[in-house]
Amino acid sequence: MWQKTRPYLLLLPAIGTIVLLFFGGLFDGLLKSLGYFPALGETRFEMTAYTNLFQSSEFWESLILTFRVAALSSVFAAVLGAAITVSLFMLKESSKSGASQVWHRLFQLPLTIPHLVGGYIIVLLFMQSGFLSKILASAGLIDEITDFPVLVNDPFGWGIILTYAWKEAPFVSLMIYPVLSRIHRSWRDVARVYGAGSWNFIREIVLPVMLPAWTIATFIVFVFTFSAFEVPFLLGVTYPSMLPVYSYQLYTSGTLADRPEALAVNIILAALTILLGLVVYYFSKRWNVLKGWD
Amino acid sequence: MKSPRRLLNSILFLLLFFVIGLPFVPLILSSVSFGWPWPNVLPDSFSFRAWEYVLADSSGTWSVVGTSLLVAFIVTAVNLLLAVPAANALVRNSFRGKWLMEAIIFAPIVIPPFVAVMGIHLTFLRLGLTETILGVVLAHISPTLPYMVRAIMISYNTLSVDWENQARMLGAGPISRFVHVVLPHLLPGIAAGASLSILISLSQYLITFIIGSGQVVTLPILLFPFISGGDPAVASAYSLLYAGIAVLTLVGMDLALKKYYQNKKAATGKG
Repeated sequence: MWQKTRPYLLLLPAIGTIVLLFFGGLFDGLLKSLGYFPALGETRFEMTAYTNLFQSSEFWESLILTFRVAALSSVFAAVLGAAITVSLFMLKESSKSGASQVWHRLFQLPLTIPHLVGGYIIVLLFMQSGFLSKILASAGLIDEITDFPVLVNDPFGWGIILTYAWKEAPFVSLMIYPVLSRIHRSWRDVARVYGAGSWNFIREIVLPVMLPAWTIATFIVFVFTFSAFEVPFLLGVTYPSMLPVYSYQLYTSGTLADRPEALAVNIILAALTILLGLVVYYFSKRWNVLKGWD
Repeated sequence: MKSPRRLLNSILFLLLFFVIGLPFVPLILSSVSFGWPWPNVLPDSFSFRAWEYVLADSSGTWSVVGTSLLVAFIVTAVNLLLAVPAANALVRNSFRGKWLMEAIIFAPIVIPPFVAVMGIHLTFLRLGLTETILGVVLAHISPTLPYMVRAIMISYNTLSVDWENQARMLGAGPISRFVHVVLPHLLPGIAAGASLSILISLSQYLITFIIGSGQVVTLPILLFPFISGGDPAVASAYSLLYAGIAVLTLVGMDLALKKYYQNKKAATGKG
């Protein structure tokens, strides 16, 4: 009896906490998005919040912006992350010292920087009167502040994309480095015997080996940027805004009538992230990304 | 053989400088600047006024740092108590509904936690949990707990039951088995989980703002008005302080762990 109930008892505190605080909150939000507010005497279920959302162009623009920003952020982070990892890997291959370990640590610095600080770093670098604009002006490449493109608080979301590319590239690197470190030194020698240069070695061996983990890492970054709030709140514009910011704007607009709509946006966001999460899970299991190969 | 390596090294150094170094340059310069008009690459004059303001008692920075760390450490301690038994059950047993249990515990990694917090906000309001540290701690648990469980599970994976049975045969009771056999083995996982938990708790803006309603002031809440259009020098100084605390917490955790193993090694060496 004890052997059978033991795992459930051990799991009870953690599961209870998550169910109460997390799923309780989700459920609470779902009820209120359907207009069920017993405290206000509203005990009927209605879909008004959802139908209003699907009819408003603001919601659709917000959704498209969210997809675009998440897609571009994850692609840039993936390319930058892979560039960092492959150079670290090649460095490790050609040296025996612990230097590559130090490099690896240094490249992970952006991962530990809080998101708001990361966002502000991008503001200082890329705003029209920012550091890069000052450098370009001093070099004589631009004459006016307005010659520098609007990259921060712009409707396209470049500021958000740049922040996430910078913040998440080390994450991508962290995910693919362990896979690369399983490539044996001898493979490199064999490749050289058959006449492969560094570039051929990267293209024929390194890239195919890291492809599954790389794809999954990119997808995780996509799901994360899809639902993140802080950076779009700091670096976006009021209209159109990314979904989490749109929900926050509705929630704090002051009128109680907007709250079910805010919660409806949240429920749609949660449903989309669950869907994306299942896709990641399916492919990481199928490709055996987390375990590697035998 | 030597020249391609030097080339690779310099390419890597350039990449490091552009990706890691350069972004911090304007942040540091701006925090010690006194007027920095376009198009000068360097500020006109330097002053420590922003740092003096930030570090002075009157600006209340230290009580905010205290609140942030207090919340982060309580959250981490609670997570630890919840995560160790959960990780044990998930790694060592196969039982009915295990996938469901895992799905529940790891759900907050995928579904954004602010969705749950916005949903539970009115209930917290009715229970008097808003504007309190306790409320903020409760809100920070779901985004952090999954990472703690994950980290401790990795450590449990490499701990064989045989070791505990061995200790049992030598007459160790459940408590001393846990303290002397299990805990030392889990320590790296606990340290990794705690670092993640502290880092994630320190960086929560939205859920702290919703539940704390501006009354529980943590570092991101304090920082936001400055970076969204305040004095750039003060904003930069606060940003550096905030990032510094996050990085120092991680480094401190790492060093404490190394120190523990050194002492351990010394102790067993003597024995």
